[in-house]
Amino acid sequence: MIVPLEHVLVLALAVFLMGAGCALLRRNLIMILLGVEIMLNASGIAFVGSSLAWRELHGQAFVLFIMGVAAAEVAVGLALVVYAHRRTGRLDADHFSKLRE
Amino acid sequence: MVQSAAILALILPLLGFVFHVAAGRFVSRRTVETAACAAILGSLIGACLALAAGWGQAGSVTLFPWFRAGDFAASFDLLLDPLSLLMAVLVGFISLLVHCYSVPFMRGDPGYIRYYGYLNLFVFFMLAVALADNLVFLFLGWEGMGLCSYSLIGHWFHSGERTAAARKAFLVTRTGDVAFLIGVALLFAQGVDPSVSSIQAQAASLSGGTAALLGLLLLWAAAGKSAQFPLLVWLPDAMAGPTPVSALIHAATMAASGVYLLARLFPVLALSPTVLLGIGAVGTLTALWGAASALAQRDIKRVLAWSTLSQVGFMMLAIGAGDPAASMFHLIVHAIFKSLLFLAAGCLIQALGEEHDIFAMGGKLRHRLPHVFWPFFFGVLALAAVPPFSGFWSKGRVLSAVLAQPGAGYTALALAASAAALLTSLYAFRLLLLAFFGRSARTDALRPESVPGSMSGILWPLALLCLMAGTLDLPGHWGASNWLTGVLASAPGLPHGPEGVSEALVALLDSALALAGLLLALLAYGPMERFFPRIPEGARLWNLMARGFGLDGTYERILARPYRSGANLLWLRVEQGLLETASSGAAALLGRASSGVRLWTTGRLSTYLLMLLAGLVLILLIAAGMRS
Repeated sequence: MIVPLEHVLVLALAVFLMGAGCALLRRNLIMILLGVEIMLNASGIAFVGSSLAWRELHGQAFVLFIMGVAAAEVAVGLALVVYAHRRTGRLDADHFSKLRE
Repeated sequence: MVQSAAILALILPLLGFVFHVAAGRFVSRRTVETAACAAILGSLIGACLALAAGWGQAGSVTLFPWFRAGDFAASFDLLLDPLSLLMAVLVGFISLLVHCYSVPFMRGDPGYIRYYGYLNLFVFFMLAVALADNLVFLFLGWEGMGLCSYSLIGHWFHSGERTAAARKAFLVTRTGDVAFLIGVALLFAQGVDPSVSSIQAQAASLSGGTAALLGLLLLWAAAGKSAQFPLLVWLPDAMAGPTPVSALIHAATMAASGVYLLARLFPVLALSPTVLLGIGAVGTLTALWGAASALAQRDIKRVLAWSTLSQVGFMMLAIGAGDPAASMFHLIVHAIFKSLLFLAAGCLIQALGEEHDIFAMGGKLRHRLPHVFWPFFFGVLALAAVPPFSGFWSKGRVLSAVLAQPGAGYTALALAASAAALLTSLYAFRLLLLAFFGRSARTDALRPESVPGSMSGILWPLALLCLMAGTLDLPGHWGASNWLTGVLASAPGLPHGPEGVSEALVALLDSALALAGLLLALLAYGPMERFFPRIPEGARLWNLMARGFGLDGTYERILARPYRSGANLLWLRVEQGLLETASSGAAALLGRASSGVRLWTTGRLSTYLLMLLAGLVLILLIAAGMRS
């Protein structure tokens, strides 16, 4: 592998932190879902990098799994978002706090 | 033949009960009523057949063994001797009339399946008491009657007063039943197989002290069921049930069962003269007590209830005088006239729209309800022991049995019993005069048509029997020769009738007492009322008598109230005060402790995500730290 593993991991960490920041700081439900997707892909980058560095295929197989799970998660998540929007007309995450009571 | 007929007599009411429970709600009301009456009719026929087929001889039959524990064995077995079969016939007869009477009386009552079911079960348990040989089997019937009386007295359970009466009957009779159980255990400990037949055979082997103790225990048990002196408080309140139930309880089942038990186990009692005297004293005291209380009642059913106490007292007295045959004679006669009086009272109450007060009844009833008046009149004559009605013969028989016993104790009992007989006649005629001859009648509510012929028709056979039943045991000098005594004497352990008493003298005394009562009642409540100072209703003594000499109130004060306040103390102080404070205090403590953690539940998604991430980082850090 021509790119050193450290560089890949730093990239993955940076993408992960960006995704986490997006999920934490944004209030829009869609943006939070987007942040979660980015975090998942960051872990995918780390998996592929380590897979290439150690010449193990498990990591790449994992990434395929993550993609599948992420697709399903987005489908369910977006459906929830659409439903929540239909019910209340809003997408603000802080607005949905009924579970607290 | 005898065996199968007796088994049939016993089982049919139970089958009736099972039918009502299992199928009652799927069939019509008419079917339920017919089934209930048919079960009892079959039972009566079975009992009659058994009595006729096994005339004068004792037999026994074991249905099947019940349980066995070590040396102790209990089985369902019947002892068929003249005493038990006669009792079974009596129970069947009275119950049949009560069942038939119930059909018109309980028309329109929605709880009829429960009613007929318990009525049949009641008869089954009473027949079990009458026929059982094994005392544990007998105890089953004994307790079962308690259960059925509880359910039937509280039949209209929406009224708190009625359920209280049912509860009281249950608890008070239970107090007596404990003694029965102890008695069975004592017998077993003495090596006597606890069954009627072996007691009759082996009673003589018991030591004097044991026999006396056993006799006292049996007396206590009988006092509970038959409502004798210390335990008499439940019977007047048991009026809360439907009137046919009162008739059944008072005439042939509950109240009679205590006396019957004593007559059945008489060989044990006969061993101890002291116990016999004690039984006589309890009976006499109750007879006086009940008669005096009956004199002051206004509620027609209460008059009859106190009268039952008093009459059962006479039966006890006969047992105490060592003459169970006289006791059984009076029991049979009393069953006939008391059921008649109760059933007639039920007719009156329905005709007047649930009016119980005898002062609200009056002369109009006599003309408007002749089919109730005449049987009632016959019943009153029998109760007051006016010759030649049956009560005259049986009460005379009891009195002569007492007089036949030597000793000052029995002389005193005879005097007291004579006073009770006078009071009996007095209250019986007071009841008659007020209810059927009174002037101050509030009879606007009178609806004679609400007493169908099927109700009043049942009174007539009983009324005739009131007149005729005395012939069962006419004393020797009247030509007949104590038929009932002769029959019962063939049962083991029952002695022959009284000897050496001038029966003519007793008859004279008895009829003089009855006529004196009639005269007094006529003076106080009859047409001469104006010329005679009426017994002041509302005077102190009168109030005392109306409350049954305050025995009920005394129990209320010394037993029920302390118990209730103790229960209240446990409820308010211990349960609510201590336990609930402790548990709610613990809950408050936990709540306060967790209030800091509760702040984290903001309901904001980002907070949760942040915490998730923080937790993840923490776990990773720990994992990394553990690795290095």
